[in-house]
Amino acid sequence: MANSTSTSILSFPPQTFAALSPSAFLHAHLNPTSSQSSSTRPNRRSPTEFRVPNINTSSLSHANGSAVVRLGNTAVVCGVRGEILKAEDIPKTYNDLAKSPDETDEEKELNYTTIQELGLLVPNIELSTGCAPQHIPGNAPSAATQSLTHRLRSLLYTSRLIQSSDLRIWSRPANSDIDPGREEEEDEGQDRAPRIKAYWTLYIDVLFIALDGGAFEAAWGATIAALRDTKLPGAWWDADREMVLCSDQLEESKQLSIRGLPVSATLGIFVAEKGRSAKAAPNKRLMRGLGDSGATHHKQEHGAEAWLLADMDAFEEELCQEQITVVLDYSTGKTKILKIEKNGGTFVNIEEMRHMLRLAEGRWIEWKNHLEASKR
Amino acid sequence: MTVKDASLSTLQRADGSAKCEHDGYCVIGAVNGPIEVMRRDELPEEAAIEINVRPAVGVGSPTERHLETLLQSTLRRIIRVETYPRTLIQITLQVLSVPDVKPTPVSFLAVLPALLQTSLLALLSASIPLTTTYTATACAATSSGDLISTMSLTSAATLASFHVFAFTAQGDLLLAESEGSFDIGIWNKVYLTAEEICRGKPTDAVEDIIMDQQGNSLQERLQAAVQSKVEADRRWKSS
Repeated sequence: MANSTSTSILSFPPQTFAALSPSAFLHAHLNPTSSQSSSTRPNRRSPTEFRVPNINTSSLSHANGSAVVRLGNTAVVCGVRGEILKAEDIPKTYNDLAKSPDETDEEKELNYTTIQELGLLVPNIELSTGCAPQHIPGNAPSAATQSLTHRLRSLLYTSRLIQSSDLRIWSRPANSDIDPGREEEEDEGQDRAPRIKAYWTLYIDVLFIALDGGAFEAAWGATIAALRDTKLPGAWWDADREMVLCSDQLEESKQLSIRGLPVSATLGIFVAEKGRSAKAAPNKRLMRGLGDSGATHHKQEHGAEAWLLADMDAFEEELCQEQITVVLDYSTGKTKILKIEKNGGTFVNIEEMRHMLRLAEGRWIEWKNHLEASKR
Repeated sequence: MTVKDASLSTLQRADGSAKCEHDGYCVIGAVNGPIEVMRRDELPEEAAIEINVRPAVGVGSPTERHLETLLQSTLRRIIRVETYPRTLIQITLQVLSVPDVKPTPVSFLAVLPALLQTSLLALLSASIPLTTTYTATACAATSSGDLISTMSLTSAATLASFHVFAFTAQGDLLLAESEGSFDIGIWNKVYLTAEEICRGKPTDAVEDIIMDQQGNSLQERLQAAVQSKVEADRRWKSS
């Protein structure tokens, strides 16, 4: 189709073509007329090529942990800030099952739910920064923003990324022997066991500087990078002043221990439109071309074709109704899936999902390498 | 998996409405459309779809916004939106009751099948042209890989993963939302079980069949609900 413009009288630049008929424009790129050239998207990536993440950690000076992640033209800043929630301020009396600061791994597993029950992770996504034309700056959070925040929040909890034991602040009864507040302590008598006095609450703020598709992947990548970077200061309960004190010594601060390394990958299905009726036609699928060869085309009976596009940019996101987000963790050597989201279409089935998981595994390695490189 | 009660046109003043109980979640839905659309939301070539989900308690939160987004992208594929360009189809869903017994952790996805099912019945009741119908179900799996019927869940049950699947009448996978911790094997198993619940197709790959006493698929029940409505409407003619 790209060649035909030269022969026709009506000729216009590619930008105009893209604006007038985005679907045909993308189709022309994916389905080049000459047999030698392979399918290339308008952004010069091959259909299953992801954008390379660019990660920079500890960029913010006043946050406990932070990261800037760039994914093509999408740029995200994430800051993690720890605030203290005093146990006495929890409205409903909460019975934490943890008995001492030194838990075994099984106990940690068992007492995981604290973090969820008290809501100690508070993510927020800000899109009203002028990052993209459809998100008007200064507006109240749009439905898209809220939906994104919810996805991030639910994944933070279901992935069990952070351990509750890292967020508990205990009293230090052993040190209270010499202090003058001993009289009050005596009243409690036998109760010398350490007690939970407060919790760290992590406020995770994700700010989009620029948005060009892949919002969730970028936000999740930035969150992971920032949490891996997070150091919480050493905190203890001071019985005299009846408050939590934090140490300003760097040696006493503690790195958050992150469990695993879940990575998100987003893929879209682009269906070439053959007039409006093709969309409404029953989708009898014929394609079985998605083998190990990495063939990326989906074929359809009714003449319409579909392509699998990895890590779509904003232009492609508009055209791909069916979108798939996979979050998986490969760090144990076995693929652990944490989330699958697939909606908006009927092309993907078991076979295609397997293929996508393979692509996502490749993506996991890419993210892992970049996350580890950013640490150094 | 049960659809205890599904009835169409339960509200008098809406263009279409339905009430549906699914897995202990009871949802009532109203459809108005095609109606006039606000200039800002107007689409030149298709109808805009607006969805409002109201929770059983309190006002909507980001969770409801996310459910709305999921429903919107699914229904955009189901409704023949190109039939009514520059109009609005408005769907309002109110959760009436939630089950008393809930497993831990509570997944926000649990209410999704009821919402999907209710919106489909309400759309049918409003006579909005659709490309196909669908059925939706939820499934849960433990860490050992056993599937649990969502009806037999107790508060003691600890789930490793929670899944929602929706299939079109042709058997295509329309929606798949999974969260928790699982592998492709479990996902595959859940997929086949969910397909069986929805479409009633016997697949010998699944050993532990989650079926209720009647053994009806959701697809058949959906048809029965619509059939009873049509019969009630036509009783003056058939008598």
